[in-house]
Amino acid sequence: MSNQQTHERMASVRSGIQRFGSFLSSMVMPNIGAFIAWGLVTALFIETGWTPNATLAELVGPMITYLLPLLIAYTGGHLVYDRRGGVVGAVAAVGVIVAADMPMFLGAMVMGPLGAYLMKKIDQVLQPRTPTGFEMLVNNFSAGILGGLLAALGVYVVAPAVTAIARGLGAGVQFLVDMSLLPLVSIIVEPAKVLFLNNALNHGVLGPLGVARVAEEGKAIEFLIETNPGPGLGILLACMFFGPKISRATAPGAIIIHFFGGIHEIYFPYILAQPKLILAAIGGGMSGLATFMVLDAGLLATPSPGSIIALMAVTPRGDHVAVLAGVAVATVVSFVLASLLLGFGRSERRAEKAEKGAAAAQNTKEATS
Amino acid sequence: MTTIQGSDVKKVVVACDAGMGSSVLLTSQLQRTLKPYGVTVEHAQVDRVPADADVVVCHAGLLDRARGNLPDKVVVGFQMFMGDPAFTRLEQAIKEGETLGG
Repeated sequence: MSNQQTHERMASVRSGIQRFGSFLSSMVMPNIGAFIAWGLVTALFIETGWTPNATLAELVGPMITYLLPLLIAYTGGHLVYDRRGGVVGAVAAVGVIVAADMPMFLGAMVMGPLGAYLMKKIDQVLQPRTPTGFEMLVNNFSAGILGGLLAALGVYVVAPAVTAIARGLGAGVQFLVDMSLLPLVSIIVEPAKVLFLNNALNHGVLGPLGVARVAEEGKAIEFLIETNPGPGLGILLACMFFGPKISRATAPGAIIIHFFGGIHEIYFPYILAQPKLILAAIGGGMSGLATFMVLDAGLLATPSPGSIIALMAVTPRGDHVAVLAGVAVATVVSFVLASLLLGFGRSERRAEKAEKGAAAAQNTKEATS
Repeated sequence: MTTIQGSDVKKVVVACDAGMGSSVLLTSQLQRTLKPYGVTVEHAQVDRVPADADVVVCHAGLLDRARGNLPDKVVVGFQMFMGDPAFTRLEQAIKEGETLGG
């Protein structure tokens, strides 16, 4: 196989993964406002919250058990087959939600698009055969019957299966935490982020896992894995002091957008331009996670965007120091590693000098010839 | 390779993975530079770019996806979110009515 072909295959694999991840995250991301509402209500009103209030704490359970999964199922269905798909998807998801004894995000992410897809297929068969004047009757009842059937099917078939998978994944993370191996996930997470799989990972995988843990334990470290702004901040700081000329100029603005605005994408190009910097991101991510783990830090909801402000807002009472410590450690480690990798600007100065030298040589050559 | 005359560009769409983070940031930047030439700038998710876009701008890491989705549109890729020469070229092409390819 030629190089060209290998390259094309790599590119198509990469866009395939991106596209699938994008589908997962686009079910979740439009609903982040609802997640934040839930996170804030939880942080404020539960027994261990800032202003405990038993009446308002009643909001917490139904929101996480029903509202959030239903929103995800609706959005997933909507992506596949518009509003009609959204409605059938949400109905289809109810079965899984009711039958499972944990918040059923994974189930909603399966049933929403599945219900919509089946509705689309059924419409393709039924609609051309519907006699004039019966369209509304047929459409409403085909959606109702399919939704009801899928909901019932969800209770008996899908819920046990998806619960087992969700438990397996959760147990996997728990195992990593128990064995103190969680920092190792940075080896996968940081490079994947830079390849623009950040949303897919965070909202498609880690978010749903984290929500399940919050329901059980009151906070989740899963929300901190991808969203820690520390590693990116360290790299941007290193680029500001020791990077190539062009990055020195743009890094200060990027730092503000990254750390306070929470748009992590802005630091990816600095790594893509100098791939060795990924080692700094991994080191920063690992040390940050180790700190979170040792200090038992966690968040209530996905901080999105991954800004320090969003992180602080969804940190449960009493965990702010631990979260800040993890961010700070990640920043320092990633900054030191990135500075080392950039040779504290030495190679950059040499390159600039060499460039000047080459230009001068060129000039003398031209002058003499 | 598709091309378009800079003077025919009426709508630029900035695309990113989610259509709500980095693309919004760039949209507000490009709006400022392109408004004087009567060009509207919008943001979108890379798999759902509106059909009436004349030029699509996205990061090099998403180029394969954008080109695959939009074979008959001009897709401009960039590396850096700030100060990338691709933005200067885009503005230049629109200002001078030059041919833009990609």
